[in-house]
Amino acid sequence: MTDARLFGYADPLCAQAGKSVDFMVSAEGTTEVKAELVRLVHGDFNPDGPGFIEELVATDIPTTLPVTRQYTQNGSFARVEDPDGQLAPDGAFTVFAFIWPSMPQGRRSVILSRWSVNDSRGYALGITPEGKLEFWVGDGKEVDQVTADAPLVPKVWVLACASFDPATGEARLRQIDVQNAWNSHIGPVTPYDHNAHVVETLRCKPERADAPFLIAGAHEENPERGTFVSLHFNGKLDRSGLIGRALSANEMAALASDEAPHDPVAYWDTTAGYTDTGIGNVIQDTGPRGLHAVGVNRPVRAMTGWNWQGRDDSFRLNPAQYGGVAYHDDALTDCGWTPTLKWTPPDDLRSGVYALKVSAGEAVDRIPVIIRPDKPRAKIAVLMSTFTYLAYANEHLSFEAAIAQAIVAHTPVISGDDLEYNKLQEFGLSTYDHHTDGAGVCYSSWKRPIINIRPGYRMAGMNFPWALPADLSLLWWLEHAGYDYDLITDHDLDREGADALRPYKAVLNCTHPEYYSEGMLDATETYLCEGGRIMYLGGNGYYWVTATCPDDPACIEVRKLDSGSRAWQAEPGEGYLASTGERSGLWRNRGRAPQKLVGLGFTTEGMDRSEPFERMPDSFHKRVAWIFDGIGDEELIGDFGLALGGAAGVELDRYDLALGTPPHTQLLAASINHTDNYPLVSEEITYAFPGRGGSQDPQVRGDMIYFTTPNNGAVFAAGSIAWSQALPCHGGENNVAIIMRNLIDAFQKDGALPGSAYTGDEKHWR
Amino acid sequence: MNDKVFHKVGRRPWEWRGKPDGDTERRRRRVPGTKRHWLKWRDVHNDKSLTRERVLADKMPLWWTLGLGAVVLVTPFLSNTMIGVVTIFCIYAAINVLWTLIVGTAGIFSLATLAVVGAAGYVAAACNVYLGVPWPLMFLIGPLTGLVFGAILAAPSTRLDGLYYALLTMGVAEICRVFILQLRALTASGGAITNVDGFIPEDWFLQRPGLLLGFAGAFVLLLGALLVWRLVNSERLGMLLRVARASREDEAFAEAVGIDFRRARLMVFLISSAALGAVGAFYAMYFGSISPQIFSLDTMLLLFAMMVIGGLGRAEGAVLGAAIVTFIDKGLIELGPPRIILVALCMIGVTIFAREGLTGARAQFRDFRNRKSGEARARRTEKGGEAMPEEATEVHDKQELYYRRFNKRLRDRLKQLITPDLIAEHKKDPLGHHSDGLARVLNYFRRGEMADKYVIHRMKPAEERFRIMAISGERGRPPRVVDDREYTDIKEAYHAVFLLRVNDLMES
Repeated sequence: MTDARLFGYADPLCAQAGKSVDFMVSAEGTTEVKAELVRLVHGDFNPDGPGFIEELVATDIPTTLPVTRQYTQNGSFARVEDPDGQLAPDGAFTVFAFIWPSMPQGRRSVILSRWSVNDSRGYALGITPEGKLEFWVGDGKEVDQVTADAPLVPKVWVLACASFDPATGEARLRQIDVQNAWNSHIGPVTPYDHNAHVVETLRCKPERADAPFLIAGAHEENPERGTFVSLHFNGKLDRSGLIGRALSANEMAALASDEAPHDPVAYWDTTAGYTDTGIGNVIQDTGPRGLHAVGVNRPVRAMTGWNWQGRDDSFRLNPAQYGGVAYHDDALTDCGWTPTLKWTPPDDLRSGVYALKVSAGEAVDRIPVIIRPDKPRAKIAVLMSTFTYLAYANEHLSFEAAIAQAIVAHTPVISGDDLEYNKLQEFGLSTYDHHTDGAGVCYSSWKRPIINIRPGYRMAGMNFPWALPADLSLLWWLEHAGYDYDLITDHDLDREGADALRPYKAVLNCTHPEYYSEGMLDATETYLCEGGRIMYLGGNGYYWVTATCPDDPACIEVRKLDSGSRAWQAEPGEGYLASTGERSGLWRNRGRAPQKLVGLGFTTEGMDRSEPFERMPDSFHKRVAWIFDGIGDEELIGDFGLALGGAAGVELDRYDLALGTPPHTQLLAASINHTDNYPLVSEEITYAFPGRGGSQDPQVRGDMIYFTTPNNGAVFAAGSIAWSQALPCHGGENNVAIIMRNLIDAFQKDGALPGSAYTGDEKHWR
Repeated sequence: MNDKVFHKVGRRPWEWRGKPDGDTERRRRRVPGTKRHWLKWRDVHNDKSLTRERVLADKMPLWWTLGLGAVVLVTPFLSNTMIGVVTIFCIYAAINVLWTLIVGTAGIFSLATLAVVGAAGYVAAACNVYLGVPWPLMFLIGPLTGLVFGAILAAPSTRLDGLYYALLTMGVAEICRVFILQLRALTASGGAITNVDGFIPEDWFLQRPGLLLGFAGAFVLLLGALLVWRLVNSERLGMLLRVARASREDEAFAEAVGIDFRRARLMVFLISSAALGAVGAFYAMYFGSISPQIFSLDTMLLLFAMMVIGGLGRAEGAVLGAAIVTFIDKGLIELGPPRIILVALCMIGVTIFAREGLTGARAQFRDFRNRKSGEARARRTEKGGEAMPEEATEVHDKQELYYRRFNKRLRDRLKQLITPDLIAEHKKDPLGHHSDGLARVLNYFRRGEMADKYVIHRMKPAEERFRIMAISGERGRPPRVVDDREYTDIKEAYHAVFLLRVNDLMES
C-alpha cells in the first residue's frame, strides 16, 4: 500500500464548535482510509523543542472512510450553461472579442467556444499553436477552419472577429489593431502590422455541440474524469459577443471603434455591473437574453481594458476603460471536491488546531482545521493568521524564484511532499508565485489541499516552519504555561469586526500576521481604543492590503505593487482589488502604516540566523520594568530558538516616530548583530546607496516596545517572526517565556495595568 | 583558443518575400474538394525589422511544377530516341512513386512491385491478343489483376517481416518469370506477347506523333501515380501510418488504443497494387508487347537503384532517381555496358555521401552547416564566456549578452577569492557572519538561475538524512539527484552544496 496517495482539505478552514465542517479527500491507490481526529499540539520536529506532538481526540467520526480519486479543474474561464442552444445559431453568425493574449504560441488555446473537443462539434474562436488567430467549425466528422495570416504579438490588444454563413460556407476572420500608447506591453513605435483579414469558404457547418458556451476554454469529456474544460487561454479578454448574422468587413471595423454591437444574440459587457465596492464573479450579458457568464477559478477582474487611456488608474474612475478580465491556465480557487466527511465538532470541544488524520498503509495526510469555541470561553484569544496561511499556500519559491536563495541566504531543504506537490502541479499557487505567463497570482483560497499548513511542514526555502506550523509553537507554550486560550482567525475578525475581539482581555498575534483587511485594522483599532490589549508577537505584520471575496470568504485577494517585499508587481492601473474596490499594496502607502496601530512596522528580513534581543534603557522605567521581572539587566533575551537559533530574526519590525509610532511608546529592547543578509526593506529606500545591511545600517534590527491605549488598553510588540518559536526551547522555561508570563498575567487582569501610575515628571538626581 | 576576431554578421534575404497588408481582405482559395490551399503562404514577423513578410512555407509544389513543367515543355523538341527515354522515365517514375507508397508509407518491404506490373501487363495483353478484348478495357483488367495479385502478396506480409518478406517477394517475381518462359504457347516469341493493341494508332507506332502521344500518356500516368500518392498520404490512412511509423515500438500500443494500422498498411498495399496494375496495362499498350524481362532481377535492381539515388520514402526522390537512372541507362545507350557501372557508381556514391538520397541532401547540408558553425563557435568562444556576434543573432533578450559578459568577469574575480581559508570558513558556519569574500561568493551562487540550481533533499520526514538535488527550472519537472552521497548533518549538506558550487565556479 505504499503507492497510495492522499490529499485533502477542510471547508471551512476556520470552523467553530457546533457548526459543521466538510473534509474533502482524494485518494489514489486505495478505496478506504483510516480516519482519526487529532489535536495538533506542536508541529516542528526540531530537537531543541518538544518535537512533533499530536493528541488523539475521541469523536464520532467513523474509523474508516470510503474514498475515491477526485479531479481538480485547473485554469480560469467563464461559462454560460446555455442548455437551450441559444448560443449555437443555426444560421449565419459572428463572434468577436477584444483580446490581449499573453502567450499566444506553444499550444492551442480558445477565446470563445461552443465546442466539444472530443466530439469535434460546434465552433470556436481561438489561437493555433503557432500563435495565429483561428476560427473553426466542426460537424462531428470533419473540422474546417480559417486562420489569420500572421501570428499574434504577445500582450498587445487586438479585436478578434469571425463570421460564418452556413448558406455559402463563407467564413471571414478579422484581426484589428487597437493598440494605443497605454494599453499594450509594447508601444506603437514597433513596426508590427497587427491586422489580418482572411475570407475562406469552409467545407462543413458547425453542428450543435453538447457543451456549454465558454469564454477562455473549451469543453472536453473523458470517461474517467467526466466533463472538464481544456484549451485554456492565457491573457486578458475584454468585451465579447455573438451576433446572429455575418457582419461585413466594415461592421467589424465599427466594433473596433468602440461601437457596441446592434441587436446581438449576446454581448458580454465585462464593464457592466461594476460598483464602487468591487466587481463580482459574473460577466454580464447585456443583450436581450441575459446569458451571463460565470467565472470559474476566478478570472481576474478590474484589469485595464483594450481602450485604456492611462489617465485613470482604477476601474472606479472609468469603468468603460477597465473591461479587461485576465484568465490563466493554472488558476485554482476551488477544487470543488465532493465532501468525504461532514462533521460537526461538539459544542464543548476545546478550541484548537485540529486535523483529520487519514491514512492508508504508509500514506498519511493531516487535514488541518482551526476550531474556535462555540462561544468565548477563555480570557485570552490567539488570532490565527489565516490570511497569511492562504497568501503563502503552496508557494513555489524554492522551485521557481531565482532570487529566493539570495533572499533567504539558504540552500532550500525540500521534502518528499514538496517533490510530490511540485510534480503534480494540481493544487494551485500562492500569492508569491506567477502564473504561466508571468502574471502575479492575486487569489488564494483554502478550497484545495495546502501542503504548507500541514503541522510538521518546514518551508523549503529556509528549513524551518512558517506560518501555521510555526504558530503551533505559541499554542504549545500557552498550554505548557497553563493559560487557557480561544482561537479566532483572520477570517472571523474580517467578518465580525471588533465583536470578535471584545470578549477577550488580551489578544495574541501569531508569528506572521502579514495580510490584513481594512475591517481587521479597524476592528483592532477599536478594540485597543476600548481598552483591549494586543500582544503583537510577529514580524512584518499589518502589511498588505488584503480582502476576502464577498461571494467566497475562502478566497483572499491581494495585489502587490509600488513598494515592499513583493513577489510580483501589478501592471500599471491594475492595483485595485476587484473584491472591494480599494487600492491594494502596502497599508503604509494608504495612510495606515502598522506603526500607527501597534507601534512597529517591517524593516528587514533575513533567513541565515536569528539573534537575541538586548534590553534598552526604557525597559528600566517603572511603567514597564514589571515586564522584565526575573530578567537580568544585561541578559540577552532569546539567544535560542527553533527559527535559526534566536528570538529576533526572519522578519523584523522597527519603531519609527516618522511612520506613526505612538509618541509615548517605550523602546524596551532591540535585537543586535544582524548579518548583511538582513538588508533594509525596499519601502524604506528612497535613494539607494551601499551599506544597508545588518552590519552597517542601524535601522536593521527588531524592536520590542510597549505603549498604552485609552481605557487601560495596551500594546506589547516584539517585532520578530522568530519570537514565538523561541518559547519552546529549554522545556518552555526561558527568558522569552518569562516576559510572556509577566505580560499575560498582567493583561488578563481587569483594571489599570501595572506601572500605569508612573506618569509623573522625571526629577532625577543622577 | 580565443582569437577574438569580430566577424561582421548579417545577410540580405535571398528569397522573394511578399509585403502583405493586414487590412486588405484576402480571399484564400482551395484545391477543389479539399481543405488544402493551392500554395502554403505564411506570414511571419521579420525579427530584424518586425515588418510582416509573406513567405512560401512549403516550396515543394513550386519545385514539382517547375520540374514537371520543364519535362512537358522540353520533350516535344527532343529527338525521337530521347522522347522514348523520357516516356520510359515517366513509366518508371510512376512505378517508383507507387513502390514508395508500399515501402515508405505502408512500411512493407516488397520487391514484387515489377512482378505486379508484369502480371497485370501479361493478363491485360493476353485478354487483348487472345480474347480480343478492346484496348480501353485493358485499363480495367490491369488494375483488377494488380488488386488480386496484391491481395495474394499481402497475405504473407502480416506474417513475415523485413528481409524474409523481401526474399519471398523476390521469389514470387522469379517464379512469374520462369512460369512465363515455360508457357508452351509463348515459347515461339521467347515468352513475350506481341501485337498488343493500344491507345497509339498502329500507323503512328514508333513514328513521332505516336512517340509524342506515348509520352503524353506516360506523363498522365505519372501524374496519376502522384495523385494516388498524395491522396493516400494526405488522407487519414497515410496520417495513421505516419503516426504509427513515428513510434514503431508503439505498434502494440497503437493497436491497443484502437488504431488498426495493420489494416491500414494492407489497404495502402492493395491500393498501390491496383495502381501498379494500371501501369502494367499501360506498359503493354505503350510497347505493344510485354516480355518476361519485366520480371527479371536486373530490371528490379535498376528500379531499386532509382529509389536509393533519389531517396527512399519520398515521391520527389522516386521521380528524381528515375530521371537520373533512366537517363544513364537509356539515354547514354551508346556508352554500352559501362553505363551500368555508372549507375552502380552513382548508387554507391549517394549511399556513402548522402544520408537519404539526393532529395535529403538539403537537410543534410543544413545539419552539416550547423555542425560546422557549432564547431567554429566552440573554437571561438569559451563555455559560459562572452557571445560572439554570430551567436548574438540567436539570443532574443540582448540583456543576456551583457549578463554573460558581466558574469564571466565576475567569476574571474571570484575565483581569486576561493582559498582553503574561505572554504574552511564556510565549513565552520554555513549560515552566519561571513567575511566579505565569502559573502560575495555566496551571493553569486545564490543569485544563479533556477535551472540546475542545487537544493537539499530531506530524504525522510523529520529525519536528518539529506542528499543533494538540482532543480529542473521547469514547472512540474522534478529535480534530479546530483550524486548518491548522503549527509546526516544539515551543516554538512550545506557545505557539500557549497563545494559543488565552488567546483562549478572553478571549472567555468
